Amino acid sequence: MSAQNRDAADWLPNDLGGVATAPFERVEHPMLPWEKRCHALADVLDFRKIISTEEKRRGVEALGETTINKLSYYERWAVCFANLLFAKGVITPEELALKMAQIEARFNRSGE
Amino acid sequence: MPSVQSQRPPMLPAPRWADGEAALFKAGDRVRIAERFPIGHYRVPRYIRGKSGMVEAVIEPRAVNNEEEGFGRNAGSKRHYYRVALPMAELWQGYAGSARDQLKIEVFETWLIRG
Amino acid sequence: MPNHDHGHVDTEGSGDYTPGYYEILERSLAELLVEKGRIDANDIRREIEVLDSRNPALGARLVARAWCDAEFKKRLLANGRKACEELGITSYEDTELIVLENTESVHNLVVCTLCSCYPRAVIGLPPDWYKLKPYRARAVKEPRTLLKEFGTFIPDDMAIHVSDATAQVRYLVLPQRPIGTEDFTEEELAKLVTRDSMIGVVRLDPVQVHPGEVP
Repeated sequence: MSAQNRDAADWLPNDLGGVATAPFERVEHPMLPWEKRCHALADVLDFRKIISTEEKRRGVEALGETTINKLSYYERWAVCFANLLFAKGVITPEELALKMAQIEARFNRSGE
Repeated sequence: MPSVQSQRPPMLPAPRWADGEAALFKAGDRVRIAERFPIGHYRVPRYIRGKSGMVEAVIEPRAVNNEEEGFGRNAGSKRHYYRVALPMAELWQGYAGSARDQLKIEVFETWLIRG
Repeated sequence: MPNHDHGHVDTEGSGDYTPGYYEILERSLAELLVEKGRIDANDIRREIEVLDSRNPALGARLVARAWCDAEFKKRLLANGRKACEELGITSYEDTELIVLENTESVHNLVVCTLCSCYPRAVIGLPPDWYKLKPYRARAVKEPRTLLKEFGTFIPDDMAIHVSDATAQVRYLVLPQRPIGTEDFTEEELAKLVTRDSMIGVVRLDPVQVHPGEVP
């Protein structure tokens, strides 16, 4: 009933058990401050009952293979949160865009 | 003389489990992972679909179906998860390791078939 | 299509720091959520403190206690979450903990093929390799070959049990107590337990010398 290849629509991009892969590398990087804040944000969204951990997992899967491969681990989470918060009507894309411009301007000013 | 039967108090109804409350399986049961291929969010990896193994443990307490939880619905779908043991040789053709190597994974009750 | 800047890595607050697109996104989400009263202004800072308080030393205490106290070990293997509470270690809501004992005949390995579920309440946040494709793809299909790449050789007469975390259970490996530690105190034992031994990718080497002794 289902296609066997990994490009099939029903095979999630994160479902990696047994798939062909590049060689293993024992890589570790110290977490960047913003990444730690992002992880903290995920936990806060969960205990504030805004976005559950499972909703986040589903939201990351929904980004699709192309985007997943382009972004790093926490970049995926940040995009996922934005999408889910839009869908839930918590924020609008316009509000987010304006806020991002505001914050970017803040950094540009402090660099002067 | 009145029969003994008519003097007995009415029997209490037997306790009834609400649907999904009692665990369907127990440790030691042979089970097979369903061969379903849903679109969208799932937590039963492709590599175990249709494979057979044994229930190692019933996970307590009952919990929400994570396929539904992924969409923000958290009420009314609590059933048991089971820790299922699957022989590696069953999962992978030509598995190069010990015949006693196993894969263990939690599976939601609705994905398991007896036998 | 815009090529979003992934960030200029520099010390924050130096004035030269240029946050990337995704950091700006993260900060924006946090600020908006506070402005809209969805989260408190202190929530994230407090949560960072919680994250910082979780590290492998907690898991190491559980392991060392289990090595020294047979009854505690029984309780730990029966209900990991409750046993953690005995040592003052709280768990994240809606998670359970199963502790997997390594023995002479069984070696345990933990993975999350679908994402990166990890016993972070007791050992902190996972390393990158645990979250990346090669580990997740191969741990469930060729554990012995993968373990060799960590320098770990499991003999053929031992079985490997790989646990794939997919739901609310988190797994912690209880490594075998290293040879040569018969005289060690619980505190000394805890210092020997590494994060990677509690994931199951390494075993703990025999100890030649007691701490404080001259070899």
